[in-house]
Parts: sequence; structure tokens; C-alpha cells
Amino acid sequence: MSISNILTLAAVSLVIGRFRRGRSLAVLASSAMVIYWLQPQDADIVTLVYWIPTATIVLVSLFWAVTSLPDKRSFQENWPAALVLSAVLLLVDLNRYFGFEQVFTVKTPRPILIAAVIVVVFLLSVLLLRFRQLKKLYWISGLAGIILVFLVMKTPNLPGSGVELLLDKAGRPLETGSNIAFSWLGFSYVAFRLMHTIRDRQAGRLPALNLAEYASYVLFFPSFTAGPIDRSERFVKELREPLVMDDEGWLFAGQRLAVGMLVKFVFADMLAILSISDRLVRDVISPGWLWLFLYAYSFRILCDFSGYTHIAIGLGRLMGFRLPENFNWPYLKSNLTQFWNAWHITLTQWFRAYFFNPASRWMRSKRWPVPLIILVMQLSTMTLIGLWHGITWNYALWGLWHGIGLFIQNRWSEFASSRLRWIFSDGRKQRILDIFNIFLTFNYVTLGWVFFTLSEPAIAWLAILRLFNLA
Amino acid sequence: MTQDIMNTIAGFLANEILKQPDRSIGADEALISSGLIDSFSLVDLALFVEDTYGVRIDDTELNADTFDTLAQLAGLVVTRQGE
Repeated sequence: MSISNILTLAAVSLVIGRFRRGRSLAVLASSAMVIYWLQPQDADIVTLVYWIPTATIVLVSLFWAVTSLPDKRSFQENWPAALVLSAVLLLVDLNRYFGFEQVFTVKTPRPILIAAVIVVVFLLSVLLLRFRQLKKLYWISGLAGIILVFLVMKTPNLPGSGVELLLDKAGRPLETGSNIAFSWLGFSYVAFRLMHTIRDRQAGRLPALNLAEYASYVLFFPSFTAGPIDRSERFVKELREPLVMDDEGWLFAGQRLAVGMLVKFVFADMLAILSISDRLVRDVISPGWLWLFLYAYSFRILCDFSGYTHIAIGLGRLMGFRLPENFNWPYLKSNLTQFWNAWHITLTQWFRAYFFNPASRWMRSKRWPVPLIILVMQLSTMTLIGLWHGITWNYALWGLWHGIGLFIQNRWSEFASSRLRWIFSDGRKQRILDIFNIFLTFNYVTLGWVFFTLSEPAIAWLAILRLFNLA
Repeated sequence: MTQDIMNTIAGFLANEILKQPDRSIGADEALISSGLIDSFSLVDLALFVEDTYGVRIDDTELNADTFDTLAQLAGLVVTRQGE
């Protein structure tokens, strides 16, 4: 996103924040329009730039149909939202006639095709709403389907994915690659929100949401591309009753937007010039310089990601929402557990709620040995968090790096808690230990970024050897 | 009643989780956000509370937003028992 994009979105947020009647429809309409606008235009192969956001909206509509509660399913309550979504699909499609090429592609599908899609999705939703006795099948199919799409989207150059065929048809060179061809903006976050609603519906915890509320929650544009991953019950409260925009609200929103843009467009972009890369690892032998490049990357990724979070929270506040925090000074934490309580907080909470906690409970009930449970759960959770960023060996290794670190930390804490009490009970010694632990944790996390940012395990390994002057 | 619940849970935390029987835990001391108990211990804590008081704490509730102190956890137990 560019600065002009963000300023435009801030203006849209301000307008939407003024709505009282029809608020959820206004949030929905603006979010649906914005996801088309933000979809990378260079992905325009066989009109995918139109079809990808459309697929998101179709998925959201169908997932609402399978998770909705009886008192929120009536046609009377939901036709306005269905109409808004259909209107957005058609309006964006009609850009082939409007010709606003600087806003969105003019190479959109024929309107008759879009009308057919709307009718099919409508009929399918009605069927899903009517035949409720198959709801368990819907939920399982929904979860399996979303995981399958996730795997396809997140696996670079997946053989047999049809990418080569599409590129050939569009007359584009094959090295364009699947990541660009199929860049599905915001899908990682959409998938996790959809899975959250299915799992909570299964457990009977999902609040009753109509189509407008459900779709607004999943598509909410401030947090669509980079989170945070809000929870539906929290989000919908402020959709129904927005926060008042008083002086404090203006100050909060303004500060978050200003800090976000400063951190993202000044600090992160400046650090990008110095950040470690495949080429630098190959060309630079000096460990000192490589450490400098690695530290630069470590702060760059923090500034980049937390900058977007500040911006999302600022935009959300302009619309009357208080989005959850995603970062809390993660590099000043004295152990890895605390680091993961402060880094991409909402993603970590998602994995805890839907994977770590239920799986740990199950192993406890089977009376597995405690150290084994800890090892299995730390490694599996962190590897999955790694793979969420992309199905590559390097992301898996990055996750394992953290899983191993967390396991070692857990075992050390267990060992030290009873034996080193003389340090913990002395305030001064404890402070010195804290400073050492912050240094150690920061460097462990920073070293782990070589797996995250470099392209292959071999180059990551070369980087580690060169950082320690071993190659 | 709330005080009894807090004492029992504080005893469990000091003995079984922190392995420091002499450690006293204040009613308003942050447990999760401070990193005093990690995510694995949190599952143990939930199982202990569920077994001891016959209430259910859902996996999605094991976070600092739902409870972060002994007082908040004891309050949650009392509320659940009354439901």
C-alpha cells in the first residue's frame, strides 16, 4: 500500500464512521469495494484480478450460510446485504464501460457472466440454509476446502496447479511465477477468520450474525491485508455500537496513522536498503557487515509489520472500532514465550485457541509424558505458524527454530525455577539477568530471521556459517 | 468463597506450575501478560480449575483478555458455577 492509498482509505473511513443508520451495510459496501481496489493489478491473467476478490466475496457468502444461526437467516433481514454485495460485483465489473483504468482494471468479465455467478451463489446459499440437517458435512467440507485452497495458494510454483497453463494462455513468460499470478490479497487472514467462525459455530460459541455483520467482519478493509485477526464477537459489538469519536478518539486515530506511516515508510523503507538478502550473503564475507545487515532486517520487519498494524488500528478507530493490538515491544522481552506474547499477537492467539490448547488437552488426557507433550506441541505449533507464511522449507525451518527455542526455554525454566531462587529473590541480580535475557532473546529471534527472509535452506545455512566466520 | 478459590488456585500455581511453594501470588498480579505462566501451564491451570470446580473453560478463553489475575479467574469460576 502506498501513502496515497492510505490517505484515501482514511478519507473513506472517516465517511463510513459517520454512518449510524445502515452502518453495517456501509462498512460492508466499502470493504467489498476496497478489496477489489487493493488487489494487485499485475496479477491480471485471464481477469484473475477481478475473479480473486469475487471468489473472496463468494466464499464469505457461502460460509455465512453454513454458520448462521436460525434467528439471523430470514430473507427480510439479509436481502439488503445480498443486494449490496451483488451491486459491488456488478459495479466493479461495469468498469469495462466506465473506463476508470487508474482505479481498477477495465478488462473485466462480461456482465452476463457476473449476473449468472450472483444467481448461482444466491441459489446455493438458499439450499445451504434450507438443508440444515447436513450442517456437519458443510462445516467439515468448509474447513477442508479452505485448508486445501490455502495449501494451493501458499505453495510457490505448485506443480499441476494450472499456473503454467494460465500464463501460457495470457502470453506471459513462465517465470512470472505462481505467487504473482495467484496473488490472492488478504487470503491468509480471510481463511483464518472463516475457520474461526466455523470452529466457534461447531462449539456453539459463534454470536448470531446476519450476512452484513458476518461479511463485514471477514472483509473489514483496515485489517484485510495485514491483520490483526479480530474475533467476531468483539468486532460485531462495535459494528452495532461504534465507539464515540471524541477528542480522545481523534487523537488516538491520528497518532496511530502518523506513527504507522513514519514507521513503515521512513524506518522500514530505509532499513530495507541495508537488510540482509541472498545476494549480500553470497557477496559479503565479513561477519561484522553481515550481522549489521541482519540487525537491519530484524528492525525492518518489525517496523514494516507493526507500521501496518498502527495504520489498521488508526483506520479502524476512524470508523468507530478498536482493533486488537498485534505488537507490544517484542524485542524488549526477556524470553521467547514473552516474545510470542508480543509479536503478531492475534495470530499466536488464534493458533493457541484452535490448535495448541485443544491438542495439549488431548495429549494430557492420554497421559503422555509432560516433556514429550511440550516438545511435540512447541515444534508442531511453531512449524504451522511458519508454514502459514508460505509452504516452503525456509518457513518450516524458521518455525522449527522457534519451536526448539521455546522447548529449551521451557525446560531451562523448569530446571532453574527451584535451583536459582537466590537470583530471582534478589532484585538487583534479577535486573541484570533480565538485561542479559533480553539480549539473548533478541539475538535468537534475529538469527532466526535468516530462515524467514532468505530464499532457500542452503543460502540460510551459508549465512549462519558466515555470520560466525565459519565460511 | 472467592477468596477460597483464589487461595486454592494460588497454591496450585506456586506448587505445581512455578515449583516455588513459598511464592505468594497477589490477587491482582498479572499471570499471563507478565509471562509468569506460559501457554502450556495455562492448559494445566484450566484442567485443574475444571476438575476442582466442575466448570468449563474453553480453549478460546485461555488468554489474558478473559482472565489475567487470580481475582479474575476466581470471578470467572463463580460466574460459571452460577450459570
